[in-house]
Amino acid sequence: MIEIKKTFKNYVDGKYVRSESGKTFNIEFKNSLYEVPLTSKKDIRDAVTSSKSGFKKWTSVSPYTKTQILYRLSEMIEGNRDSYIDLLVSSGVSKSNAVKDVNNSIEKIIWFAGLADKWEQLAGNLNPVSGDFFNISHQNPIGVVFSLNKDSNSLYTLLSGILPPLTVGCSVISFSETSSILALKFAEDINNSDIPDGTLNIMSGDFNKVSEDISKHVEINLISLHEELDINELKVIEENASESVKRIKYLPQLEGLSSILPYLETKTVWHPKGT
Amino acid sequence: MQNNSTVKNQNNISWESVLELVYDSKIDSVGLKERVSSLATRSIKKDSKLQALNMIVSMCDLTTLEGEDTEGKISQMAAKAINPDPSDGEINSVAAVCVYPALVATAKEKVLNSSVKVAAVSSYFPSGQVPMDSKILDTQYAIEAGADEIDIVINRKAFLEGDYRKVFDEIVALKEVCKDVHLKTILEVGDLKTYENIRKASLISLAAGSDFIKTSTGKLSVGSSREACYVMLKAVLDYKRLTGLSAGIKVAGGIRDSKDAIRYLVLINEEMGDEWLSPDLFRFGASSLLDDVLKQIKKLKTGAYQAGYYFPRG
Repeated sequence: MIEIKKTFKNYVDGKYVRSESGKTFNIEFKNSLYEVPLTSKKDIRDAVTSSKSGFKKWTSVSPYTKTQILYRLSEMIEGNRDSYIDLLVSSGVSKSNAVKDVNNSIEKIIWFAGLADKWEQLAGNLNPVSGDFFNISHQNPIGVVFSLNKDSNSLYTLLSGILPPLTVGCSVISFSETSSILALKFAEDINNSDIPDGTLNIMSGDFNKVSEDISKHVEINLISLHEELDINELKVIEENASESVKRIKYLPQLEGLSSILPYLETKTVWHPKGT
Repeated sequence: MQNNSTVKNQNNISWESVLELVYDSKIDSVGLKERVSSLATRSIKKDSKLQALNMIVSMCDLTTLEGEDTEGKISQMAAKAINPDPSDGEINSVAAVCVYPALVATAKEKVLNSSVKVAAVSSYFPSGQVPMDSKILDTQYAIEAGADEIDIVINRKAFLEGDYRKVFDEIVALKEVCKDVHLKTILEVGDLKTYENIRKASLISLAAGSDFIKTSTGKLSVGSSREACYVMLKAVLDYKRLTGLSAGIKVAGGIRDSKDAIRYLVLINEEMGDEWLSPDLFRFGASSLLDDVLKQIKKLKTGAYQAGYYFPRG
């Protein structure tokens, strides 16, 4: 039988695309050498345009339906667990750790699926004020999130950058560097899970090559960094981002409810108590 | 309606010579597509891109043609037409605002003392399915209200039934009503279907005295295409060879981004020369195009991709 090797591509606006520049870089696994897209500035621009419309689509999906869609995502991974385990093993992870990683990932998705219609109760608040008013802290998704993923061959770690913003209704551009194979494979299950096109875009490349455009792009609302950056590099990014009052957060692995808080912004509503 | 075949229009072209042109309308569609797509690969960057984008702004007809149009909406659009990007003093005004006849007076009042013209769609845009008398009334009303330019639709019913003479006569009659007011004739290329039909309709409209020919109403799912524009520009060139008159082209419908618009400019520049790179002879009818062009200009000047909410609505 002929062995057919897969060409992994970026996943943007519900489509699998090569970089418009035609550039690629190599990732070497045990028995395979992969050529993956080297995302260009224009690819980033396309992804942001798509995420902007993806955000509109995803926020209009009811929390109840979000729950079902995320649950379906876990079903998709469950069905493909062997192929994930094979890929992880081929990347150098031990078999037992690979199995553990996939199991934990599926559980994590289910946990977030459950949270999708509950976080508003947990994160919002009715504030005490002196006066005949209701004062409500209403939580809203921040918008388009750019997530620089941690360089690690772990599905669980990858999901830590994706699930929290997705659950609260943000659209996400998930960017991976040397561990991007896993993310690009994950895109196939996103495609099968009814998540609207543009809501989750998966890209691979060299962050340094596109960081200027990302930090300056007015339509990205938050840059979440799951990988530590050089202090000088971070300073430049912060300065660029300040022009558009973009938020930048360095997010080490957060668990539970606290993991969604960075992706929310609070709208304070005053309402007279009626009698 | 005039049935005397010796009747000539203002440009002094007889119906017979129009017929001659019209029946010689064979188009090699494969070659056409090849030529148009080869011109689309030109790369326009940095300074030339900025120049092109500024040119596009000055060629835009900012348009709103909806049942929900109100005086408030028109005044908002007019403000944007005069000053598309208040944060940048170097940005030109657009060429015109395009509205329904009932709103011409409002639009005219709002753009007073600026270079922005008021265009009105008439002849029962977008379908044009009314008797000729009504089309004339509609057009007269728009002109009396102060329109500088009139956009009419060709009689597609007559055209598709093969009654080219009727199409021609109607435009001649409407041009008589317009006199010096600029007449733009909308072919609605999406309804004409074939390139031959687009060429025929272009030649008929030009010969009947149109100052501009325009691709689409913007009300069909099929809007302008660069191929249709190419066919039309060839007709304009043939017409110039015949009469010495330079007619304009307006492309409308479905042109949403700067890249696409720049490709139209390349097409015009390559095939017609820079005489046509002017708002007097080339226009974009678009509502969403302008926003993208403004974004791109800002991007070129600041290096940062922009969000739509930084620009005025309208």
